[in-house]
Parts: sequence; C-alpha cells; structure tokens
Amino acid sequence: MGQGLRKPLLEEDDVVDIRFSACSLSYGERRVLEPLTLDLKEERIGIIGLNGSGKSSFARLINGLQVPSSGMVTVNGIDTAADPAAAAREAGFIFQSPQNQVILPVVADDIALGLTSRGIGKAQAAEQVGAILRRFGIEALARRRVHELSGGELQLVALASVLVTEPSLVIFDEPTNQLDLRNRRKVADAIHGLDRPAIVVSHDLALIADFPRVLLFHEGRLIADGAAAGVIRAYEQVAA
Amino acid sequence: MIASLYVEGRTPFHRLPAGAKLLLLVLVGIGLAFLHSPWVLGGALVICAMPYVLLRLPFSETRRRLGLMVLTVLLLGLATAWFESPLAGLVACLRILALVLLAAAVTATSEIADMMAAVTRAMMPLERLGLIKAQDVGLALGLALRFAPEIAGRHQALVAAHRARGLKPRWCHILPALIVLTLKEADEVARAIDARGLRGHKASDR
Repeated sequence: MGQGLRKPLLEEDDVVDIRFSACSLSYGERRVLEPLTLDLKEERIGIIGLNGSGKSSFARLINGLQVPSSGMVTVNGIDTAADPAAAAREAGFIFQSPQNQVILPVVADDIALGLTSRGIGKAQAAEQVGAILRRFGIEALARRRVHELSGGELQLVALASVLVTEPSLVIFDEPTNQLDLRNRRKVADAIHGLDRPAIVVSHDLALIADFPRVLLFHEGRLIADGAAAGVIRAYEQVAA
Repeated sequence: MIASLYVEGRTPFHRLPAGAKLLLLVLVGIGLAFLHSPWVLGGALVICAMPYVLLRLPFSETRRRLGLMVLTVLLLGLATAWFESPLAGLVACLRILALVLLAAAVTATSEIADMMAAVTRAMMPLERLGLIKAQDVGLALGLALRFAPEIAGRHQALVAAHRARGLKPRWCHILPALIVLTLKEADEVARAIDARGLRGHKASDR
C-alpha cells in the first residue's frame, strides 16, 4: 500500500464541491445509474463496485465526459452538462488505459500539448513541463518515447499531462489495473501524495483502504457510503 | 501501445524544419502532377527516394512501413494501364511512388508535435477567415500519424491471436475485428482528448 493519509493534505480553500442532484444516467433503455443525490467534499474519495456497477459512469459524470439523463451534476458550481469544457478543466481525468490518453509519442511533447492547446507559448510550456516532471521525479523520461515506458511510468506521464493544466481535482479510473507491484506502488504513492482532491475508481481495495470516504455501487445504485473500512466490508458481502 | 513512425537520426532531412518539409511535400506533389514523361518521373522518383534511402532502414522495416502502400499503388497502376494505356499506368505509378517515398521520409524525420505545430501555423489564415479551427487540423494530422502504426500493431496482434488458437488468419475474419477495435480505441482517444480539453469539448450521452 502507498503512504497513508496521516493528516489532511489540503487547505480548506482547496476543497472541491461536487454535487449530484437527482442525477441518473441511462444508455437508451438501460439504466446505468439510478437517481442519486449527494455532495462530495472529501480530499480522497474511493469508488468501488463489481464490474458494470456504474462506478466509471459515475466518475465520468463528474468531469463532463457524460451528461446525466436527468438531474444535474455540478463541480464548484459548474454545471457539467451546460459547460463540459469548464468541467473538464476543473476535474482532470486519468483513464484506465493511459496509452489512449497519451496522444503524442514523446513524453514532454505530450505533456506540453495540454498547455499549448490552451494558447500557452512554447517556452513557458517547456518550463511548466520540466517542473511537473521534476515533481514526479521522472525528468529523465522527458525525451523518451511513450511506447518504451513501463505501465507505471505511463500512468505517471498521464497524471503529469493532467496535472500540468492545474485541475482542481483528479479522477482516476482504475489506475493500478494491470500494473505489477513496483509500478502499483509508484502510482499509489503519487495518488496519496497528490496536493489536491482525488477520486479513485478501483478494484484495488488496498489503494483506497485509508480514504475518508468510499462509495459502493451495485447494479447502478449507491448502496454504501462512508469510511473505507465499513464500505469495504459491505463490498465483500456483495461480492461473496 | 503507441509506436512512432519517427526514426532517430542526423540526416540532412532531419535537420530541415518540419514546416519546410511539409511545404516541400506539397510543392513536389503539385510539381509531379505536371510531369508526364516516364523518364523525367523516373528521375523525380530517384530524387524523392533519396531522403528515405539515407535513413538506411532495414528492408523488413521498409516493407512494414510501405508494403501495403506500394502494393496499392501498383494495383492502381495496373488498373490505369488496363483502362487507359500501359504508359499511363507507368506514369501514375512513378508519380505516386515518388510522393509516397517523400512523404515517408517526412514522417520518419519529423516529430509529430513539430508537424502539428507547422500545420496549425499554416492553417491560421483560414482560422482568421472563420473557416476552420487551425488547432483541430493539426490535432487531426497528429492523430492520423499516431494511429498508423497502432493499426499495423493491432493487425499483427490479431494475426498472432488467430495462430495461437490454431486458426489460419484470414482477411474476412481479421478485417471486421480490426475495424471494430480501431473504432473502439478511436472512441476512447476522442474521450481522452475531451477530458484533457485539447479541443472543443463535446460530452457524450453514451
């Protein structure tokens, strides 16, 4: 397991306010998420559930990648359906397969892309890319080709490419999926050490075991919500 | 996994800026359209092939990169020879092969990011006229170049999967799977582009 949360990492001003108001999601006739009303303000939130339980859809609603079929989702007051681009700026998203998130073949070029596409000049972008790579201790990867990277390195590059644009929170969709133990530790440490709120969708229960809040989804319903230990116990019963 | 068409090197073509190489490609493409003598086109083919030859890539790598394209050009040449004349078929083959080889040299000696930046710059006048979004054109080029080796890799994986199950790889089995997998991955990449805010965002209701 990565380093635990011994004390709050964030100042009060850094807290992100996510609100689901009677929000539901359907794909055609199929209901993926039953109507849900809740507020999320914790600095680390875990989302667990069996495959197809609706947890990834729930996460995608937060950053505006999916729009609710009914109700509303707001992030710091931004309606994600009305302004998905602003929602995406607030909530960075790390996909399950980082190779689909990393667009350009050279690490530094890819991280810079998020900045240059926002109109930031090449020199300033290079400076910010250098800073974010140093922050994760992966500056040696700057000119490396992404297809040469390990799974853990690729996850860190994907995280750097999101963090360089300074989102208010980061959402991880199964970040340790298919990683070996060493790479899993690297990614877990990066998540635990993050200086902003994080929402982690995961089957990796050790990763979220010390999170102050964990949500358990089952068949599109939120069936447990609370501190990690109790919710993980409920999950084990559901999965039995 | 993302591979790249770029080849590390220090050839004179590597040293040219990406924008200059793309402009050269456009000008050569226009120029070739006005040439009709097979002798002159043959000379043009040799000149256009030089930057690629200087990369000194192994034959297997060249076959992987250009094999399908060359085969397509030859089929096109044969069709032109059949429907028009053998000379017209030869001219078509030489013209397109010269362009293909020069384009292969451009992609092999230029980083995708540099080409994207050059195309974005070149499209800015059209953006000012409100006709296009220059950044989207650059991004589209980058994605096309990025996906080319991905699709080849996916094809190889499907062939290997067939062989692992003792099945003979057949195009009629592989092609539908290749198309579905490519579209699925393209969808994920599009979502990632939206999530990273790399272009105008469009949320999905799916």
